[in-house]
Amino acid sequence: MAVTNIVQHAPKDYKSNLKPIWCPGCGDFGVLNALYKAMSICNLDPDNTVIVSGIGCSSRLPGFVATYGFHGVHGRVLPVATGIKVARPELNVIAVGGDGDGYSIGGGHLPHAARRNPDITYLVMNNNTYGLTKGQVSPTSMVPLASVQAKLDPKRWKTTPYGMFEEPLNPIAMAIAYDVSFVARGFSYKPNQLTDLLVQAIQHKGFALIDTFSPCPTFNQDQTDDFYKDHTYDVPEDHDPTDRVRAFELALRTDGFPIGVIYKHENKHSMIEEQAALKRRFPQDTPPSLETVFKKYH
Amino acid sequence: MNPQTATSTTDVVIRLVGESGEGTVSLGDLLVQMFTAMGLDIYTFQTFPAEIKGGTVMYQVRARSGIVLSHGDAADVLVALNSEGFGLFGDGLREGGILVYNSDVFTPKPDPSRTDYALPITTLARTEKEKVRHEIEGEALKRLPAPVNIVGLGALLRLVDAPLLPAEQYIRDLFGRKGDAIVRMNISALHTGAACIAEQMEGKRTPHVYPVERPSPVLRVNGNQMLAMGAIAAGMRFYAGYPITPATEIMEVLAKELPAFGGDVIQAEDEIAALGMAIGASYAGKKAMTATSGPGLSLMVEQINLAGQAEIPVVIVDVQRGGASTGLPTKTSQGDLNIALYGVHNESPRIVIAPTSIEDTFWTIIEAFNLAEAYQCPVIVLSEQALGTRICTVPPPDLTKVRTVNRLMPTLEERQAGYLRYRDTDTGVSPMAIPGMEKGAYTTTGIEHDEEGNPGYTPELATKMKAKRFRKLETCNRERGADFVHFWGDTGEAEVGIIAFGATEGVIREATERARAEGFRVAHLHLKMLNPLPVEIVEEFGARCHKILVPELNWSGQLANWLRVNTSLKLHKFHKDEGIPFVPNEIYQQIIALATH
Repeated sequence: MAVTNIVQHAPKDYKSNLKPIWCPGCGDFGVLNALYKAMSICNLDPDNTVIVSGIGCSSRLPGFVATYGFHGVHGRVLPVATGIKVARPELNVIAVGGDGDGYSIGGGHLPHAARRNPDITYLVMNNNTYGLTKGQVSPTSMVPLASVQAKLDPKRWKTTPYGMFEEPLNPIAMAIAYDVSFVARGFSYKPNQLTDLLVQAIQHKGFALIDTFSPCPTFNQDQTDDFYKDHTYDVPEDHDPTDRVRAFELALRTDGFPIGVIYKHENKHSMIEEQAALKRRFPQDTPPSLETVFKKYH
Repeated sequence: MNPQTATSTTDVVIRLVGESGEGTVSLGDLLVQMFTAMGLDIYTFQTFPAEIKGGTVMYQVRARSGIVLSHGDAADVLVALNSEGFGLFGDGLREGGILVYNSDVFTPKPDPSRTDYALPITTLARTEKEKVRHEIEGEALKRLPAPVNIVGLGALLRLVDAPLLPAEQYIRDLFGRKGDAIVRMNISALHTGAACIAEQMEGKRTPHVYPVERPSPVLRVNGNQMLAMGAIAAGMRFYAGYPITPATEIMEVLAKELPAFGGDVIQAEDEIAALGMAIGASYAGKKAMTATSGPGLSLMVEQINLAGQAEIPVVIVDVQRGGASTGLPTKTSQGDLNIALYGVHNESPRIVIAPTSIEDTFWTIIEAFNLAEAYQCPVIVLSEQALGTRICTVPPPDLTKVRTVNRLMPTLEERQAGYLRYRDTDTGVSPMAIPGMEKGAYTTTGIEHDEEGNPGYTPELATKMKAKRFRKLETCNRERGADFVHFWGDTGEAEVGIIAFGATEGVIREATERARAEGFRVAHLHLKMLNPLPVEIVEEFGARCHKILVPELNWSGQLANWLRVNTSLKLHKFHKDEGIPFVPNEIYQQIIALATH
């Protein structure tokens, strides 16, 4: 991480002049404030930091941060972030987005980001719903499963008025299975803890996923802030996140959602370093010539 | 073999057909090497089945003393290593041509218009292996293939009266480290093949291939390899791609060569990720590229639009293959012009260019980066399977002629004075900051945005910013349009004018010259830039032609349709989408038909 020691940046230094477009009470405000604080604690140089996103309410976040930003297309945040990081390893790269962007349309990129393990922090604001399209199920929605007895309830879940036919994903268990090298879960109503998790994720060397419950007060009347207050608990103090089996057990518990660092694969191999090492194998002082490549075709 | 045979010049077409994976391709490669060493210019055409093993492969080699413009019309010599190949490609042999057939597996019906040579290539090769079997260890012997391709090489070299000595030297170089027995086996196989043909030559016709003094060394290279090398010359230092026939070789060459130039190559999880990575890398300041074929281009469409809207330079190479959907993956086509031009929801600027020959591919890909950087937009490069996989001899590009362009960036003073990433300028081009630049921070976005990059939705803003982005295409056409046209044939009034694009340039030139030699006045405009279309140049060309022919390799006449949308010209379409390139004769016939009716 490129951390400058010359200027100490305060959280407000990371605020852009754009006002967030989120609804009053949106969990994303808390996430954004935690991010400002975490960036300040890590003292990231705004000129050397890029925030990358896809599409969705939460993907508007880069515009609210006074760093470089990339607001791309739906679901492709991780490829774009990887391209930036490989091209310019010295930049701080933070990827952000929602659960639909990250686990539905973009879900195919997550295992490959884990395989490559670039030094990127991926912050998923998980509201268990599609907010920007006004209230449909997401891959993490906990809507009661469909049954023939289900009551028609079109107000709450517009594309699944008789219930949902699919089981929700467990992104934490999925990330551990993919061997994402830092897996944590946060909650936007626990801002100090979330700030601390973000600091750890930013400082982690490798690909870090923080799935953060960030309630949608407008379209999700089931997973409200109160629901999460009742259904979350802190990761037990004696939990060893470097134990993958224990991490799995924690992720698969059905009595609620643990908040904190769940899994860590320290010193996991990273493609970014390999790419750099590969280039160093070739002479750096004398620029190569294409003539030498031409010779292979004589 | 063609009319020139009377003098000591060479122009011979040899077509090899056989079972895929059983030595046909390696025999073709050997022949190309030997002819190149004799100083001849080479132009090949290969057509493969889509499967790894099995099916019939065809490898055509045209060798000529002097420039070769196409893979030629009918073959002078057909080498049929299986009967299926003879059935499929036998009618490609010209009247009075020579057939060399594998007499181990079939005997063709006699045909007095043809000269036949029987070559029991399998038996001869096995016998050669038998001769050395006592000298080779058990496992190595099992793995040792019978030298079928070397028997074939000896036979063909003898047939065209070419010396065997260079081939012997080549065998020593190639097999030397495998031991003396294997070298001897192959040299013996070479002479066995030659002797088999020599025995049958009495009273029969044979073509001749004459060595030529070559002033300087040539590259023996295909379009994919040339494109990869051109991209390095352009300063491309980031490549992400997903394997797809027939574009994969571009990535294979870059994966090997780019790290030495300080660049990165990533095999992405799909084409969407590949283009996303390239766009990310370019946003971060590197010249970046991906290469694919039709199905991959379909997946990339959404992010091509993003690069157009967010004004991020990026180069997308499409090595077009035949057919829709999975289609004809190993065949050629010019069927992706429509998706290159129109593949977008709503509208955003992109530049579409197409290389015309293997030599031109080197320069075209350099220009692709120059255009992407100059006008900050995606540039789609339409290559073709026939161009990408065809091996030709070309002079090494003169690297002192390489000119590269870098994107306009804001100075520190400009950034301090209140930086606007999307400043509305006369040219449409606005200085682009890259991460790391002090006071340059902005958020790029595909959402409609103001000059600062902040989202906005008013009708006035939507109009102003779209006009700004499309103004870049006008600027591009004004500044560079004339650099992307080739004129051939008659320079004045013409009975027939031909407008075409892409890898058909050589074959059209050859057909044009044939017609002009007979007194017809024929002009040829070859378009290298399809968008923005240099409309004035096209109109001026059309004004001096009585009739205009638009030959292209796709189903509906996509170029002709595009020209009809953009110009006033009356056009005669000539299009087909069979998976194979044009031959000179069919273009020639079209010219004559138009000129005489």
